[in-house]
Amino acid sequence: MNNTLLSLTIAILFGIGTFLVLRRDIVRMIIGLGVLSHAVNLLIVSTGAFSGTKAPIITDNGGHGLSEASSSVFADSLSDGIFAPVLEAGHQVDFVDPLVQALVLTAIVISLAMTAFILILAYRIYEEYGTTDIKELRRLRG
Amino acid sequence: MDSFTAITIAVFLPFVLAGILPAVEKVLKDKIGWYASAVALLSLLLIAQAAPEVIHGETIQKSIQWLPSLGINFSFYIDGLSVMFGFIVSGIGVIIMSYSNGYMSKKEDLPRYYQQLLFFMGSMLGMVFSANMIQLFIFWELTSITSFMLIGYWRNRPMSVYGATKSLLITAAGGLFMLAGFLVLNAITGTFDIPTIMNNESIRELLHGHELFLITLILIFIGAASKSAQGPFYIWLPNAMEAPTPVSAFLHSATMVKAGIYLIARIHPIFSGTDAWFIMVSGVGIFTMLLAGFLAFRQTDIKGILAYSTISQLAYLMTMYGYTTHHEPGIGVAAATFHLLNHATFKACLFLVAGIVAHETATRDITKMGGLRKEMPITFIIASIGALSMAGIPPLNGFLSKEMFYEASVEMGHLLGGPYSILIPALAVLGGVFTFAYSIKLIDGIFLGKRPSKGLPDHIHDPSMVMLAPAIFLVFLIILFGVVPSIPVHNFIEPTVSGILLEEAHLHVKLWHGITPPFIMTIVTFAVGILTYTKYGKIAEWQNRFNARFPWISVNYYYDATVENAKDVTSKFSNRMQPGPIKTYITALLLLVIILFTVPAVLLAPTLIPSDLNFDIPAYEVIIYLFMIIAALGAAVLRKYLPAVIALSGLGYLVGLLFIYLQAPDLALTQVLVETLATIIFLLAIARIPQKFREHIPSKTLARDILISVAVSSVIFIMLINATQGIIPPFESVSHYFIEKSLPLAGGHNIVNVILVDFRGYDTLGEIAVISLAGFGVYNLVNSRGEDE
Repeated sequence: MNNTLLSLTIAILFGIGTFLVLRRDIVRMIIGLGVLSHAVNLLIVSTGAFSGTKAPIITDNGGHGLSEASSSVFADSLSDGIFAPVLEAGHQVDFVDPLVQALVLTAIVISLAMTAFILILAYRIYEEYGTTDIKELRRLRG
Repeated sequence: MDSFTAITIAVFLPFVLAGILPAVEKVLKDKIGWYASAVALLSLLLIAQAAPEVIHGETIQKSIQWLPSLGINFSFYIDGLSVMFGFIVSGIGVIIMSYSNGYMSKKEDLPRYYQQLLFFMGSMLGMVFSANMIQLFIFWELTSITSFMLIGYWRNRPMSVYGATKSLLITAAGGLFMLAGFLVLNAITGTFDIPTIMNNESIRELLHGHELFLITLILIFIGAASKSAQGPFYIWLPNAMEAPTPVSAFLHSATMVKAGIYLIARIHPIFSGTDAWFIMVSGVGIFTMLLAGFLAFRQTDIKGILAYSTISQLAYLMTMYGYTTHHEPGIGVAAATFHLLNHATFKACLFLVAGIVAHETATRDITKMGGLRKEMPITFIIASIGALSMAGIPPLNGFLSKEMFYEASVEMGHLLGGPYSILIPALAVLGGVFTFAYSIKLIDGIFLGKRPSKGLPDHIHDPSMVMLAPAIFLVFLIILFGVVPSIPVHNFIEPTVSGILLEEAHLHVKLWHGITPPFIMTIVTFAVGILTYTKYGKIAEWQNRFNARFPWISVNYYYDATVENAKDVTSKFSNRMQPGPIKTYITALLLLVIILFTVPAVLLAPTLIPSDLNFDIPAYEVIIYLFMIIAALGAAVLRKYLPAVIALSGLGYLVGLLFIYLQAPDLALTQVLVETLATIIFLLAIARIPQKFREHIPSKTLARDILISVAVSSVIFIMLINATQGIIPPFESVSHYFIEKSLPLAGGHNIVNVILVDFRGYDTLGEIAVISLAGFGVYNLVNSRGEDE
């Protein structure tokens, strides 16, 4: 089940981020990167593979956790060359996709590290050259 | 300790002890060279431990599994050939590293120098004991790399850099040809193990009859020839003389350049006995022997003469290993092996003398020298014995192996019959004549004649024993091997030759054989050699004139042209690809993304806008979308930094809120925390950056940027609404695995958490590494402030 309005919103965020990244002012470019990283994270989360509606947290304590998602067959042996589930027809999962969430969680933290680093870089550039204009910087560097 | 363990330690000890060398240097200071020689001595003793078994004719091979699925094992093969090379490498290593204590100034970067020498020695030992081709290749290229570092030891001399680059380009590229040859050989024989191919008659027959036989041989031979400076590849060796002289003595005369010869000897049992082997190996050998011997005449640098003489002497070895017929696969093997050992002694000795002379006179130009025999009597005697051995004067060891060379040449000519029975011995004598002439030139030019009135320091004297003793030891070996040849022959040559010919070998080498054809050839060599020496200056002049007139008849000319051209093309290419302004790159990237998305979408999707759009969305979510767009627009249009940053962080919190509706509680939590931190960092940073610059966007730029943004936006939108439409049939999601195995395998209920810390724990480790690296980066950036104020 897709969500057309969410897709539209993500697309608009992408557009705004792109516009900002193309600016001459370094600080504006960093703000643009921030907008872009939000857009990317949302994009990944919204394209999860399942149409379930529950948060990916197993609530029952029962045995092997197979009550919510059953009947996959795993042939995870390298010698057979298969490392993926094989599903019966009509297999349904109640959860939303946990994998994309795990990926995005990593991405959020890394984008924080990146933002911090380039902000300090911008600050040092300003200190050394007295400007945040890319064009002027190129001229100063010769 | 068994031999395999001893050899393994001998190979890896130099690497390990070189690794801790900088720490040892803190204690020993400028005595660090003695530490390095002690390491070499340890390797030598370890190899000596394996020697007795080999001298008794045994061979030892042992493997440790490495990549068994690819047939690549870590495997050492200990036979006569490898032990002899092991002795040469570690023995000359001890001599060179001791000598360096006197040669290298205390002001030099000694740890780097000795570290690289030890790395080289370890690589070279690893190479000669390798039984597996891939392992051999790795050590082979390691020797090329360490050689590159050592030639370029004086980093800010342009000629050092030129020489180092040249040697790396030629030898490392040659190594790649060799690797290709090994792969073809593996495809034919099904194994990477050299002894297996060597000892198996049926595999060798299969190989000899195979249609890829010739191409395999050519590929491997290119590797050997480039390493040993044969044929057109000789050009790197003269430029390698920019290295410190002990390095030239060690790498570029006694050991590394012999790696190619070693390879030829190693594969001799596999490929010899064929016409191709004789034509290629001996053909290139004879050609190089004559060319390099001849070209030595116009050299005025002592090390230049020695470099050309090394090329020519290596060509002798190639020629001899190449002598083969169908019935007699190894006519020159014994002679070549003996000459190989002898060359290591006399050439290393001559290089040490060159180092001494350059050290004392501060020049290497032979035209500025002369008459130094009175001031440097000991050096004079050492140099004379070394040079006379190279010239082939009895009773020195060079005489013996040259006699054997002539003998093998006569036999080869005889077996071929026809004009060859004269031609091959004649060419061999011609090579000997050149050798004789430049050997005499070394003695005469430096030590005899009159001392030039100017250009030399006033007081020249013999150096300290630190530099003399290693050379004296080599002179001792030269005389010993000449007078009592049974010592080297019994201990080194016979085991080696048996290993190559795969049969028991018994040699009888004596100083006096009676008047035989080789003896007559030696007499002819001396006579013509003396005659040639009287014309030495005229020949050199003619060569210079020829070179000035036809500069394009030279391999160097083409090498330089190619390298210059390559530099030109690559700099043009990179200037075009990297014009500078960051905007160009971003635009190019975005355009590429747009193309990559649109082309398949247009080609594959039936319609770009699918029919089942879903607008059935709760109102509260729609309100969040609206606010998000407003916040993003705010970040874009607000002109001051502070409001724009606040708008951005507002967007971040809205995203956090949205994550809750998207059933992602962990993400919401993280997003809120991170956004708070990011906002604080942002505010701290912009508080220090006054907003002096205001961009006035010209309407043309504005229109273009909006166009790009809208294009990106549309592409993303179309991609997203099509993402669930199954343009490409989806594979089953790997998420099924995580959902089902989360509880039984990891015991966690929160699947996202389990994925992060269990199933994909390495991702999280990487993430932590990124955070800490960014932290270090920030710290250093802040600390780098104000250094020039």
